[in-house]
Amino acid sequence: MKYELINQSSFFLEQGILAIGDLHIGYEHGMKGKGVSLPETQPDEIINDLRKIIFDIGKKGHKLKKIVFLGDIKHFFNYEWREKVYFKKVFEFLSRHVEEKNIILIKGNHDKFDLSGKKMKNYYVSKSLAFTHGHIAYPRIFEEDVKMIVMGHLHPSIMLMDKQGIKREKYKCFLAGKFRGKEVLILPSFMEMVEGTAVNSEYFQSEKGFSIIPEKEIQKFSVKVVNDNGEIMDFGEVRKL
Amino acid sequence: MTKVIESKKHTKSEIKKILHPLVSEWFFSKFEDFSLTQQYGVFNIHNRKNILISAPTGGTKTLTAFLSILNYLVILAEKKELENKIYAVYTSPLKALSNDIHKNLIEPLEEINELAKKKGIVLQKIRVGLRTGDTTLSERAKMARLIPHIFITTPESLAIILTSKKFVENLKSVEFCVVDEIHAMDNKRGTYLSLSLERLNEVSSTFPAKIGLSATVEPMEEVARYLVGETEDREVCFARVPLDKKIDVQVLKPVNDLIDDKNISASMYNLLANLIQKHKTTLIFTNTRSATERVVNYLKEKFPTEYGDDNIAAHHSSLSREHRFDIEERLREGKLKVVVCSTSLELGIDIGYIDLVLMMGSPKSSSRALQRIGRAGHKLHDTAKGRFIVLDRDDLVECSVIQKEMIERKINRIGFPRNALDVLSQQIYGMAIYKIWDIDELFSVIKKSYCFSELSRKDFLDVISYLSGEYELEKNYVYGKIWYDSETKQIGKKGKMARVLYLTNIGTIPDESFITVKLSSGEPIGAIAEGFMEKMKRKDVFVLGGRKYVYRYTRGMNVYVNSAEGLSPTIPSWFSEMLPLSFDSGLEINKFRKEMKDKFTSHKKEKTIKSFIMNYLYLDEDVAESIYDYFCEQHNFLEIPDEDTMILEKCTMEGKNYLIFHSMYGRRVNDALSRAFGFLMGRAGMRDVEVGINDNGFYLAGESVLEENFHKALKYLVNEKGLKEVLESAIEKTDVLARRFRHCATRSLMILRSYKGRSKTVGKQQMKSHFLLHAVKKLSNQFPILREARREVLEDLMDLENAKKVLKWIAIGKVKLKIKRTKIPSPFSASLIIQGYSDLIKIEDRQNFLKRMHHEHLRIIGERKK
Repeated sequence: MKYELINQSSFFLEQGILAIGDLHIGYEHGMKGKGVSLPETQPDEIINDLRKIIFDIGKKGHKLKKIVFLGDIKHFFNYEWREKVYFKKVFEFLSRHVEEKNIILIKGNHDKFDLSGKKMKNYYVSKSLAFTHGHIAYPRIFEEDVKMIVMGHLHPSIMLMDKQGIKREKYKCFLAGKFRGKEVLILPSFMEMVEGTAVNSEYFQSEKGFSIIPEKEIQKFSVKVVNDNGEIMDFGEVRKL
Repeated sequence: MTKVIESKKHTKSEIKKILHPLVSEWFFSKFEDFSLTQQYGVFNIHNRKNILISAPTGGTKTLTAFLSILNYLVILAEKKELENKIYAVYTSPLKALSNDIHKNLIEPLEEINELAKKKGIVLQKIRVGLRTGDTTLSERAKMARLIPHIFITTPESLAIILTSKKFVENLKSVEFCVVDEIHAMDNKRGTYLSLSLERLNEVSSTFPAKIGLSATVEPMEEVARYLVGETEDREVCFARVPLDKKIDVQVLKPVNDLIDDKNISASMYNLLANLIQKHKTTLIFTNTRSATERVVNYLKEKFPTEYGDDNIAAHHSSLSREHRFDIEERLREGKLKVVVCSTSLELGIDIGYIDLVLMMGSPKSSSRALQRIGRAGHKLHDTAKGRFIVLDRDDLVECSVIQKEMIERKINRIGFPRNALDVLSQQIYGMAIYKIWDIDELFSVIKKSYCFSELSRKDFLDVISYLSGEYELEKNYVYGKIWYDSETKQIGKKGKMARVLYLTNIGTIPDESFITVKLSSGEPIGAIAEGFMEKMKRKDVFVLGGRKYVYRYTRGMNVYVNSAEGLSPTIPSWFSEMLPLSFDSGLEINKFRKEMKDKFTSHKKEKTIKSFIMNYLYLDEDVAESIYDYFCEQHNFLEIPDEDTMILEKCTMEGKNYLIFHSMYGRRVNDALSRAFGFLMGRAGMRDVEVGINDNGFYLAGESVLEENFHKALKYLVNEKGLKEVLESAIEKTDVLARRFRHCATRSLMILRSYKGRSKTVGKQQMKSHFLLHAVKKLSNQFPILREARREVLEDLMDLENAKKVLKWIAIGKVKLKIKRTKIPSPFSASLIIQGYSDLIKIEDRQNFLKRMHHEHLRIIGERKK
């Protein structure tokens, strides 16, 4: 399956589909309801990042046909009017680049309500590609015509440490591997502030059944980091880190 | 500036003349004569003079204040002139006030009433009201009907009642305001109180006379100014009551050889048990909560017939209120043989008869040590008996020098945080809840507080901007706490919830939630803050309580570890519970080191040096010998660093470059110096620098730690006046700034601990410190609360002023630096290296580091393939 990793998203050349990981819109805003005041810059930052990605796709001579959001578009489980407003802003921006019907929203474990009046799907299958959030193993994504599963949910990142153990830093990463005969690509969270959980720490997926891919299988996945210049850095298998 | 004068002593007949006959008769039925404290205080207080009185524990301070006030009220009560209003406010930082108040106020009042009855004198009833965080709603309602004449409260509750228009009516003619335990207010709680006092002054029709009560404290003039505030028209006097409580102190070591003896811990418990058995009631200070539990458990297990739940108890601030009260009560009743506490029993509540105080580990300053042993023999003429139990050689030297300071009555100085913008935010919010203010009026009230007398108008306006919801923060949410109308220049509260929000979120003591660290056997060994856990990775080695452990896994609120002696720490050590050594005591140690160095370099005989140690530090031969050996080793191995010479040791261990600074100035100064040097050297070498800090010095390690980089850094720090700027850059990416920012954000009500009726633990706030800091920096790098966090790190956590002083000494050659190469760390630096590192100064850019690590991985993968 041919795809490119652009920023924290992935673009599938053959299908012309751009997949975006967990957005968690309303994170900052939701904190307000909990008594923490933060500046709300999230929608603008998301739009800025998306603009760069779409520009990049065009520059490389590809045609963007569809955009798939891989679930957990909103952060809080309950309904928030503000999140709807924020997402609408993002949605309006995107509909300038693709038709509205070609923006596909997948339901994550945080998405209990439909956003911006658009029906959300549990999964979306297009020409041997299956997109899903990753918390529920829908039988459809394991059917024969599917060659690759693209998911979010896990917010993978990698903790890097120098030899003397002096410096350590966390970076968002993609995980690529195989599960039940399908290729699998796991996207990092799209939200800047959520770094995610380090795959080489014990906290990663410490809760049993948290995702459709068991911890044991994740160990065989390979880690890819996209740096600020857009270069892809391969760090090998999780278990060898 | 406020005028400060030293108070005179008054004669007994002068005092007697001002007392109402009933009060006088009552007094002399209880006491033979006026105490020295009363001779300094009673007359002045009677004449509404502002006064700061410092005297040791047992010096009848509280009664001195209340005697004048009661006298006045009895005079009014007899004339039937007592009105339904508050005449005196008493505030103390202690939670468990009621017992002290009972003894010093309620009992005298009852006895005077008895006496009046006997004599057929009819007195109006004099009412006393107590209001703390624990006061129930019905008690408060009762207080609103029958106004107490003497109002007893805490700094927090005082701030709350000052927001209530109704209650403030009762405060308008307060004549006396007593501030107890002032020596314990050298923190943000004190800053907070100073503003509450100004608020009280502001609502009062006449200036309430301030009576400050303190344990022995220095500098008296500054503390006196703190008490009354800074204005042209105020005057305050102070009295250093020349009372000398007799003290009997001694430094004890559990074993002869503090280095090689394997049974040091067992011997220490034997020594403890022995001392406890020889005394009636013993109080033990351990400095940390975890040590408190450890000592209690060990004594119970090792001596099951001597110690059980009925006669031994642990006391620390994380215990429930009921539990603590119960222990204090049993202590007063003489039911407990021994109580072990961290620091919690330092302050002045009456805890009954104690004949021995044991200090395990250094109390870190002479005033703290005096305060602690003052808990033994609470009455003035009793001798206070205290013993230092030392466990290593640095501790031995430190405790011995502190003992010398105690005996020679050298008191270390305290200071109050100034211009704290988080405290200011909370107070302005409270003031706006009380009424609508004119902005200039508000500013001028604030400027009268000692802690804000140098507040700039810009800082003030920034806080107003923050509170009124500017900085592009949504105006109508939690954020807009006040409104500010730039036309009318007026300020007021916003929203109906304001009072409730203020009431439930008030305070300055930060929350930290702790996770218990346990061995796989389940044995608890200590606690670390939750935030510290964010960074841990499997197989990480860290230092806790001087020992190394390897991290295994977390279950709920427990972290499981294995012992990891022999491995190198991979993450910074956890230190938050440690008390810093006072700068003054550090200088005393330096002075002692110089004396010792002179003797060794001039080849004095062993016997001469030992007897010098015994005389100089008031030690017995046994202990003096250990100190002699320690210095002798250092002298033979390298050189003794002292007040004139700071030795820098350069060595390489496990491929890492180390530079060890023998900077004997206490942790707060070392924290500043180490980061300044570390940051500049790191920048010169473009690699991160590891920093290890303790009270005796600090070390830097990493690829940037080269002599040439050190000289560059030194030149910069000595020639420029930029220590503050360097430090601000150095702390920008550290955990400590993130953590302190979180505390400041809570104090300034950016994070509400309790909101919409739900109160949250730190963990449940779901907000990692770094996340919060990141978000706010996007807003403005000069956001006032962020500036405050930087100030707090530099001035309260670190000691910027004294660090500047040390750099100055280096610049003018008063302190000479000497770099020496060693193969292994010298004896004086051994414990510094063993305890591991405290923080990392981040220099290398994240993206560069990513590239470097990727190359490294490719190389390893490449090798694997071969």
